[in-house]
Amino acid sequence: MRLYKTLVAAALGTVMSVSGAFAETPADTLVIADAIDDIITLDPAEVSEVGGVLMSQQMYQPLVTFDPADPTKIVGVLAESWEVSEDGKTFTFTMNPNAKFASGNPVTAKDAEYSLQRVILLDSRISFILTQFGITKENVAEKIKAMDDATLVIEVDQKYAQSFVLYVLSSFTGGIVDSVLVKEHEGTREDGSNDYGNAWLKADNSAGSGPYVLTKWDPKVSILMSRNENYWGEAPGVERIFLQHMPESATQRLALEKGDIDIANKLGPDDIGAVEGNGDIQVLEGNSSTIYYMGANVRDEALSNPKVIEAMKYLIDYDGIAETIGRGTIKVHQTMIPDGFLGGNIDYNPYSFDLEKAKALLEESGVSLPITLDTVVWNVPPYPDYAQAVQATMAQAGINLDLQVVDGGPWLDRYRSHDLDIWVGLWGPDYPDPHSNAKAFTVNDPTDPDGAKGNLADRFGWNSGPLSDQVLAAVQEQDTQKRAEMYDEIQRAHTDSSPFLYMFQDSRRVAMRSDVKGVVLGITFSDDRYGAVTKE
Amino acid sequence: MPATTNRPLRLFIDIGLWLLTVAITLLGLAALTFFIGRILPIDPVLSIVGEKALPEVYQRVYLELGLDKPLWQQFIDYVIKLLRGDFGTSFSTSRPVLTDLLNFFPATLELSTIGLLIGVALGVPMGVASAYWHEKWPDHLIRIIGLVGYSVPVFWLGLVGLFVFYYLLDWVAGPGQLDVFYVGVVDRVTGMILIDSALAGEWDIFWNAVSHMILPALLLGYYSLAYISRMTRSVMLDQLSREYVLTARLKGASEFRVVMGHALRNAAIPLVTVIALSYGGLLEGSVLIETIFSWPGIGNYIYSSLFAADMNAVLGGTLLVGIVFVLLNMLSDVLYRVLDPRSRELAK
Repeated sequence: MRLYKTLVAAALGTVMSVSGAFAETPADTLVIADAIDDIITLDPAEVSEVGGVLMSQQMYQPLVTFDPADPTKIVGVLAESWEVSEDGKTFTFTMNPNAKFASGNPVTAKDAEYSLQRVILLDSRISFILTQFGITKENVAEKIKAMDDATLVIEVDQKYAQSFVLYVLSSFTGGIVDSVLVKEHEGTREDGSNDYGNAWLKADNSAGSGPYVLTKWDPKVSILMSRNENYWGEAPGVERIFLQHMPESATQRLALEKGDIDIANKLGPDDIGAVEGNGDIQVLEGNSSTIYYMGANVRDEALSNPKVIEAMKYLIDYDGIAETIGRGTIKVHQTMIPDGFLGGNIDYNPYSFDLEKAKALLEESGVSLPITLDTVVWNVPPYPDYAQAVQATMAQAGINLDLQVVDGGPWLDRYRSHDLDIWVGLWGPDYPDPHSNAKAFTVNDPTDPDGAKGNLADRFGWNSGPLSDQVLAAVQEQDTQKRAEMYDEIQRAHTDSSPFLYMFQDSRRVAMRSDVKGVVLGITFSDDRYGAVTKE
Repeated sequence: MPATTNRPLRLFIDIGLWLLTVAITLLGLAALTFFIGRILPIDPVLSIVGEKALPEVYQRVYLELGLDKPLWQQFIDYVIKLLRGDFGTSFSTSRPVLTDLLNFFPATLELSTIGLLIGVALGVPMGVASAYWHEKWPDHLIRIIGLVGYSVPVFWLGLVGLFVFYYLLDWVAGPGQLDVFYVGVVDRVTGMILIDSALAGEWDIFWNAVSHMILPALLLGYYSLAYISRMTRSVMLDQLSREYVLTARLKGASEFRVVMGHALRNAAIPLVTVIALSYGGLLEGSVLIETIFSWPGIGNYIYSSLFAADMNAVLGGTLLVGIVFVLLNMLSDVLYRVLDPRSRELAK
């Protein structure tokens, strides 16, 4: 036994003497902890997971972008300017002559043409974002076209709001790749079709014009990016970004307090609260576009009665849930467009927990109580917590939620096949434009009466009446200010009449070391911008 | 003697039978995993394309994964590929599954081996002591230590360990395999950082890796210690009550010789199986330890692949674990023969 003791003591002693020397992250590297095991690609033509989008945004740039502080300000990035034809269908972009790729190649309209076309030609999982403009594999060569090196023309199928088309192009789908470089690495897929460099871009390669280039992607472990030495904008303040897979919130907190990481992207409410008093740590606040809501299937007889729905809206203790369960991670939000988006921030939260009012409404409805509703809930936090809280308050008025807490698979299946009365879930927009939400929650599509393609109004059996046409009009409105006003009006009516019980919007709170400066939080989880980061 | 002349043939048949058993075991394992994977309520296509993708995109991926073929056909296709050494591609990493396994397994192998060494080095002496001082205070103390190892959730113990030894005392390094500063400096040869850094002569990195590894390895060691010491105790209790022990004592052998030379020597045979099983358990990778310590091991790889319905990755990982168990079984068979002269006699 003595020998073992000596050995253990010796081992521990050595460890004690060697550790502690590097308790800080290297000054030229920004170390970000996140859960990255869901990232399956970094190719801008198909990224859509939060972490993947976040990383690809540092490497690829869109034609245009917007100011996260004021989304009505749309500015050029790789495009210098743009014009829209009289009929609103033809967008002509003039490329920025200063822009160049990390390879040193200039960014031309040919690159933009190739990049946007490949989203569609690849049958990418995010191709729906561009096909909604009537662009198909067959006509893409005509609809997205480089007239010369400086001019790109995009033709859409009908008159849309300029801001709508531009927001879509500003999203991750619109990241432009170096066509000269990517074409050299085109391969074939299993079915024999061209992969447009997809396999190459999923290995340790990038071909963008952004502040960073991909150095190494170790799937499910880490992603290392280095400064783009050819960057045509202002050079980034740190040489490397290292994204480390650290899934556990408590572990992230310890590493952040210790200074082993610079930014903790996945801190839960407890841990955010715990680091807030620490002088070495700052907590940045921003918006996330995720909305938590409950959808009521109005195919159910009781739920088809608008008074019942209205009563239910008064039977949620919004403030109580936000305070005791959310603890700073959510804020009460009762409209369909998230704050931070065009048309958001209207601050219309008419409902609060009011048992008497709800009882009166139920009385008026004539529905005989109690009623029991099949309520489908995803079995991961925070959904069961929200659902239980709502269950408790609704029961007081005789509305019994039969909570069916299930895995993600069945949760989505029953939602898609509307095999439920109430769905407790979330909505995250696909691109930073209000239409993504407005269309899903409002538009009725006669060709798809059950909302199989994703129109939630149809899926929950709701005829939105004139609101559907109003949404379709808003997406065509050319005047951005006027467009915002239209959404204001639509949202109020929608909140009052729809079977969607909007509850909360995610508030983002990101903790980082105090010496990290220049992080710009985007309006979604995946839109943060690290190009201007410095460490003092 | 006829037995001698037949020996090569006999060996040949033995090996043949053994290989056949292994092949059937692995095939059964693959079949089981494959069909369980297909009845899980997760749609692999949806987990690739997301729930908003267009129907034609869904269809393309559906065909790409070969899901249009009958189930048995899919399985046969998989096995044929497997026989060619092709484990398929993992869609969640876009890498060949074999590459992934070679990436993730060494990290687990390294950690588990050290954990097991700690578990054996402490667990066996503790079990022996516990049996020797049966129902006296050392026995009680050791059993309590073991009981804690059995019953305290590893998740909690891991976080407390990090909090105390990393955060408060600064004795060990934090989560991950290396400080960021050192990541990617050493060439990957075996994938095991201790060995690779030693080969490269990068001793700073070696000690940094030790500092990162010591806490999770101690935790794994503690958990295997709990099992090993308990099993050692019961096997030793059995041996110490045997007549040969009494004989040895009557003959005047020292207590040390009786316990270590006679009883432990005989106890070693069943203990080999116990230790091999513990090792196998560790090599499957501990999802919780890997999560807390951000350790890029095989446990998390299989776990996250399962939730993404990445069946090639899950199948590859499961087969790897199966092979590990087969090899460990083989190893303990060999050790049996070394340790137990009777089994050698039988083999003749």
